Amino acid sequence: MAIAVAVACLTGTPSAQSPTKAKPAPRSADGKPDLSGIWIATGALRLMAGEAEVAAARQSDIDEGRPAPRTEPPPYKPEAEKQRQYFLDRRGIDDPMARCLISGVPRISFRPLPFQIIQMPGQMVFLYETHHAFRVIPTDGRPHPEDMEPSYLGDSVALWEGDTLVVDVTGFNTKTWLIGVGTVHSEKLRVTERYTRDSYNTIRYQVMMDDPEVFTKPWNAEEILRLRPGERIREYECIENNEDLQRIEKLLQNESVFIRRPPNE
Amino acid sequence: MRTLLCSVCRSGLTPLIGILLGTSVLSAHHSFAAQYDADKPVTLTGTVVRIEWTNPHFHFYVDVKDDKGAVTQWAFEGYPPNMLVRQGWKKDVSLKPGMTVTVQGWRARVEPNLVAAREVTFADGSKLTSGPPAGTGGQ
Repeated sequence: MAIAVAVACLTGTPSAQSPTKAKPAPRSADGKPDLSGIWIATGALRLMAGEAEVAAARQSDIDEGRPAPRTEPPPYKPEAEKQRQYFLDRRGIDDPMARCLISGVPRISFRPLPFQIIQMPGQMVFLYETHHAFRVIPTDGRPHPEDMEPSYLGDSVALWEGDTLVVDVTGFNTKTWLIGVGTVHSEKLRVTERYTRDSYNTIRYQVMMDDPEVFTKPWNAEEILRLRPGERIREYECIENNEDLQRIEKLLQNESVFIRRPPNE
Repeated sequence: MRTLLCSVCRSGLTPLIGILLGTSVLSAHHSFAAQYDADKPVTLTGTVVRIEWTNPHFHFYVDVKDDKGAVTQWAFEGYPPNMLVRQGWKKDVSLKPGMTVTVQGWRARVEPNLVAAREVTFADGSKLTSGPPAGTGGQ
């Protein structure tokens, strides 16, 4: 039944109810939508604010006629899928985040800690609570720099397409996972993020991950980012007292304790 | 029916789709599923001994007496301070040595007296969320 519901939803269906009008997005002096504010992904809201707020957010989507976000299964080539399965069976013990390494794009957008967008002429600044990460993204038409070296967050440049900010991200290292456990990628990864502030309280976040080394075609994911009025970016110093490191080392000495086996094995 | 299904979907089943597609995005707790066993829930009551208000997890230690009066010290791990304050916690106020608390969570796979703490119930019956639900991060 659950699968049937999910499949029905994925096929797309118009709402029978007439949507109520959402409060419109604010605009900056140049007429573009202003993305400034503190945001959190809907899926992450559950941990940060609890089930009631998630339910309220999803109800507002229904009321305002906002389509549910859709995320495709990752279209991995067989070898990369084997790698992903390896990490899944190890229940995420190899997660770079467990070692306090910075998340890449787009995983950092889905973390249960908020981030702030500051929009200004010619550039956008993204401040992430997680890992004290930041991105300064030119919006003045300049290309990627020529001296990029592979990095966790890659290099971002952006342009407006109508009311959507389109961010081109490239120059990644291979030390991050894309979204969930084991979502590996190569240095050929190119990410295209689309930020559309479709109401005062929401940004539709669409992300395309293109990596010919690991995917048979680009992988598309979607999420709704929620404005968090009254919130502020706080400190998160991951490395301070990370007992996970010693615990993981201990677990790795006896992998049978945590490795997932097929149910019939 | 189709519209009804999608209303259901929009109202709360979207995370289910993510799980069905094998791309669970929640990852609040580092390698939760590797370190803790979601099939070993536990609820313990005892006296708070010590609190470490630290990143990336806070820890607190509770002396728990068994039926025969023997005391075992249990270690609990939960959210970092930035997440705790968003759940209503206050450093040095919400949890203090000497308090009696009941903690619900899941046991570690290896360490016999370590628990991922999901919720703390205080002597007056009030509760605070102290960590993520089981399974986040490693499923």
